[in-house]
Amino acid sequence: MMRSKILGVLALVALILAPQYLPVYAMTLLTELVILALFAMSLDLMVGYTKLVSFGHAGAYGLGAYVCALLSLHTHIPLPFVVLLSALIVGVVAIGIAWSCTMATGVSFAMLTLAFGQLGYAVAIKWVSVTGGSDGLSGIPRRLGPFGWSQLTTKTGFYLFALACLFASYFFCRALIRAPFGQVLRGIRENEMKVLALGYNTRRYKIAVVSLAYLFAGMAGALYASFAGFANPEMLFWTVSGQVLIMVIVGGKGTLIGPMLGAVFFIMVEHKLSELTETWGLFMGIIFIGFVMFAPDGILGILNKKLLRRSGQQKASQTSDPSTAAGGHSA
Amino acid sequence: METFSFILIQTLNALSQASLLFFLGSGLALIFGIMRVVNFSHGALYMLGAYIGFTTARLTGSVWLAMLIAPLIVGLIGLLFEIGFLRHLYKRDEDAFLLVTFGLTLVIAEVTRLVWGAPPLQVPLPSGLDGVVFIFDEPMPLYRIFLIAAGGIASSIIWLFLERTRLGLLIRATSQNSQMVHALGTDINLIRSGVFALGCALAAVGGVLAAPSVTASLGMSSAVIDAFVIVIIGGMGSFLGAIFGSLIVACVQTFGNFFFPDFALVFLYALMLGVLIVRPGGLLGKEA
Repeated sequence: MMRSKILGVLALVALILAPQYLPVYAMTLLTELVILALFAMSLDLMVGYTKLVSFGHAGAYGLGAYVCALLSLHTHIPLPFVVLLSALIVGVVAIGIAWSCTMATGVSFAMLTLAFGQLGYAVAIKWVSVTGGSDGLSGIPRRLGPFGWSQLTTKTGFYLFALACLFASYFFCRALIRAPFGQVLRGIRENEMKVLALGYNTRRYKIAVVSLAYLFAGMAGALYASFAGFANPEMLFWTVSGQVLIMVIVGGKGTLIGPMLGAVFFIMVEHKLSELTETWGLFMGIIFIGFVMFAPDGILGILNKKLLRRSGQQKASQTSDPSTAAGGHSA
Repeated sequence: METFSFILIQTLNALSQASLLFFLGSGLALIFGIMRVVNFSHGALYMLGAYIGFTTARLTGSVWLAMLIAPLIVGLIGLLFEIGFLRHLYKRDEDAFLLVTFGLTLVIAEVTRLVWGAPPLQVPLPSGLDGVVFIFDEPMPLYRIFLIAAGGIASSIIWLFLERTRLGLLIRATSQNSQMVHALGTDINLIRSGVFALGCALAAVGGVLAAPSVTASLGMSSAVIDAFVIVIIGGMGSFLGAIFGSLIVACVQTFGNFFFPDFALVFLYALMLGVLIVRPGGLLGKEA
């Protein structure tokens, strides 16, 4: 427990200090990574804690990007507020989507999320007057921060802002899953009928968690639009939903931290493999199948098992901590 | 007369579309019926069928041969995947199955892109079917009439197979209670492998048949959504439901595209949601 806390603090310090030491190219990559980590973590609320598999998470990401793009292009709201507002708007829209999708369970739920995602993709392409069609929207400005503050719109400033968003979201989600709300979610994951029988309206909890997951994914999308300066329909395509699902599963679902590691792993593999070969997507698919078959608890699950074996004595205290007992639930 | 011929033509169009959707949806329904899980790679296999059909047609010069070879190859791929991977996942929850078949989708999509490239490929019409017939002075491609016939014949054969043969009986029994079938001395692993391969082959038939009218393209793998809409509407795991579902979806697509081209997709999803609200198990599904 102590060890994971120390590691966490070290990682945070390293991330904050990174702009001082890393070259510009690496900073661009790191900013993208922070955004994708937020995106992956948001999906973990659904997939990892509530067992709601979504194949349409790109819908939330893309919607956030488009809302942010439109707000930045047509208003003068400062950058931090644009990102928060976009996230909130996506969260509100998601209530309706979640209401529809939770009509179904299991596989049907997954397919409904996919249908909504593809619907968003179709709208982004067809509604040319607003979304710019298949070209998307480009030249998205980063409006100066509140009180004419300009630090956030620089490269380093934006990175630190994205990092702050990631960590604030992480601590919010961690508090949420440790609260009674999170216990109900885990109950739904393990045995929904039982939770229902205990008198909880599980549908309402599911709608809430889907909306929250979409909200954070929307925040990631908004950050990406500000970061890259464009939003296009590709961000809504189902392959993006697939990629983020890979990050969650490969990293380790139901741990919040795991999906972030998954995002790091995904980006590293993408960059390393795409230098060597054009077929990196193929290897990604194979790696993914391998993880689902042989290591369903992901990278974090493997790391935890190693840690536990090495420090056999601390086993008891480690498994009682939800943030380190990554693979505990599926055993 | 004007409206009558219009409705007739559009109905024929819808029926030919329904026949393509039938091949796509019935395979998914059969697989779901036996394994209680969704094969996410169904759209990718449908696409692969179209591409293999393209190559066969180019090498042999015969689209008819392509209609035979593509399902065989895709069925074999399905068989190997079931034996190599899926078989080991029946004890896990349904999510593992969904995720593994999703991984297969990625692999197939990538392999297809590497082998055939990204631009769409034109598959010729089969010889003898490239003509046009006139119905009330309206042109109707002969190929569409052929599609309607093919869908009608194939659905009848599969239905008779499921309802009137001993093997069909075993398949239906397995979908109702696999453990009992196993206890009575039938190797259900064999049935599962066989049905999975059959379902994949059906998807490939759909892909080959669709290819001449839509061109073989990487976007075809999104057909898994259509397939799933059909199965949701018709009823999970119900073969008759899949036929019914393809007819409904084809009608919504054809008439929706004609009257409200920008909103056809919305109608389809609204229809699916409506069915889920009124009958969560689908129109012909048994489970509520």
